[in-house]
Amino acid sequence: MDNHQVESPESSVTTRRRLLSALVAGGALASAAPILAGRASAAGDGTNAPSRDPRDNNALNNALAREARMVGTYRLAVAAAAADDEVAGLTLILDHHIAYVQAIKGYLGPDAEAAPETPLSNPSGSVKSMASSLAQLEDQTATIHTDILAILSGMGGAKIIASIVIVEARHAAALSVFSGLTPLAASGN
Amino acid sequence: MTNSTPHNINRRTLLRSTGIIAASGAVLAACGSSSASKTITRIGETPEITKLGDATVTDVVLLRTAMSVETMARIILTDTTFASLAEKTSAAVVAGFARAHTAHLTNLRSLISSRGGEAYEEPNEKLMASYGTQALGLVADGKNPDDVLPLTLAIETLVASMYQYFVSLTNEPALRASMIRMGAQSSRAAAVTAQLINPGIGAFAPGVDKDGVATVATLPSAFGALNAVQVQLGPVNPETGSRTTVSMDTPSLNSFIY
Repeated sequence: MDNHQVESPESSVTTRRRLLSALVAGGALASAAPILAGRASAAGDGTNAPSRDPRDNNALNNALAREARMVGTYRLAVAAAAADDEVAGLTLILDHHIAYVQAIKGYLGPDAEAAPETPLSNPSGSVKSMASSLAQLEDQTATIHTDILAILSGMGGAKIIASIVIVEARHAAALSVFSGLTPLAASGN
Repeated sequence: MTNSTPHNINRRTLLRSTGIIAASGAVLAACGSSSASKTITRIGETPEITKLGDATVTDVVLLRTAMSVETMARIILTDTTFASLAEKTSAAVVAGFARAHTAHLTNLRSLISSRGGEAYEEPNEKLMASYGTQALGLVADGKNPDDVLPLTLAIETLVASMYQYFVSLTNEPALRASMIRMGAQSSRAAAVTAQLINPGIGAFAPGVDKDGVATVATLPSAFGALNAVQVQLGPVNPETGSRTTVSMDTPSLNSFIY
C-alpha cells in the first residue's frame, strides 16, 4: 500500500499572504478608527464644541474671583454664627464654595489668576437676618455664572459652571426659606 | 490485492456522504414551517439589514426633549389624584411649581421656533412608560399624602439635572445659559420642597434620623448631580415591609425627541 504524503506547497505562501493581508487590513482599520469614532460621536451628540478654549480663561477667572469672594464672605458668616446647627449649615455652604474655587482653579491650572478672598459683605446679626443677604449674594453669583456660561466656548468649563449654578440656586432657595420667605417666593415663582 | 486505492474510496465516500447530507438538508428544510420565512436560508447568504437613519442630537432636539420632560412634570404635578392628596400648604406650592413648568414650556416653544424647529407638545412617552405612569399609579394605590412632596422633590431634581446634562450637549453657548436658567429654577423648587419635608438649617446637610435612616437634605452635594433620582412611593409591601423605589433617569439618546 502506498502512502502518499499530501503536500501543500502553497500553504506556507497562503499563510504569509493571509498574514500580510490581515496586517494591511488591521492597519487600515486602526487608521480609520479615530475617523469612525469621530463620526460615531457626532452622531451621538450634536456638539462640536472644543473641550477647552484658551479664550475662556478670562471669563473663568472672573468666576473664580467671585467664588473666592463668596468664600471670604462665608468665613465671616460662620464666625458670626453661634448655634451648632447654624454653624454646620453655613459651614456646609462655605465648603461648597471652597470646592468651586478649587474646581475652577484646577481646570485653569497655570492660567488661574490670583483670587483674593475679599468678602462681598460683612454678615452680622442673627443667622436668619444674615441668610437673607447671603441668599441675595447666591442669586447674584448664579446670575454672574449664567452670564459667563453664555460666552464659554469650551465644554469642560461650561460643564463645571453649569454644575455650580444648579447648586447655587439651591443655596439661594434654602437660605431664603430659612430667612422667612414664603416657599413660593423662595422658589423664585 | 485490489486495484482500488484508499484515495478512490475516500473520494467516492466523500461524494456519497455529501450527496446524502445535501439531500437530507433539503428534506429537512422543506419540512420547516412556511410561516417563518418564504425563502430557505442558504449558507453564505445573510438577510438584508435595514440601516437605521442617522439621528443627530441638535439643539432643537434637546429643546424638544426638554419640552417633553417639562410636559411630563406638569402632568404629574397636576394629576387629579396626586393634587387631591396634597395638604393645603403644599398644594399651593406644588401648583406654583406646575405653573413654572408651563412658563418653561412657553419659553421652550419660543426657543424652538426661533431656530426653525417644531414644538413638541406631548409628554415624553418613553420616560412616562419607564417611571412616570408607575409613580402616579403608586401614589393612587397608596393614597398617602406623604407621597406628594417626595415625588415633587424627585420631579424638580430630575428637571434640574436634565438641563444641567443638556448643557454638555448644546452647541450654542447662549442656549446653554437659557437652559441652565430653567434648570436653576427647578433646582430652587427642589430645595424649597426639601425644606418643606425636612425644615431648618440643620437639614441643609445630609444626615440620619434617630433610627439611622437617611433624612432629606436640602443641599445633598456641592455640585449638581446627574445620577438617577430615586423616590419611595405607594403602599407598604406587607411581605417586605418597604415601599416601591422608583428610579427616574434624565432623558438619553433613546428617549430624545428627534
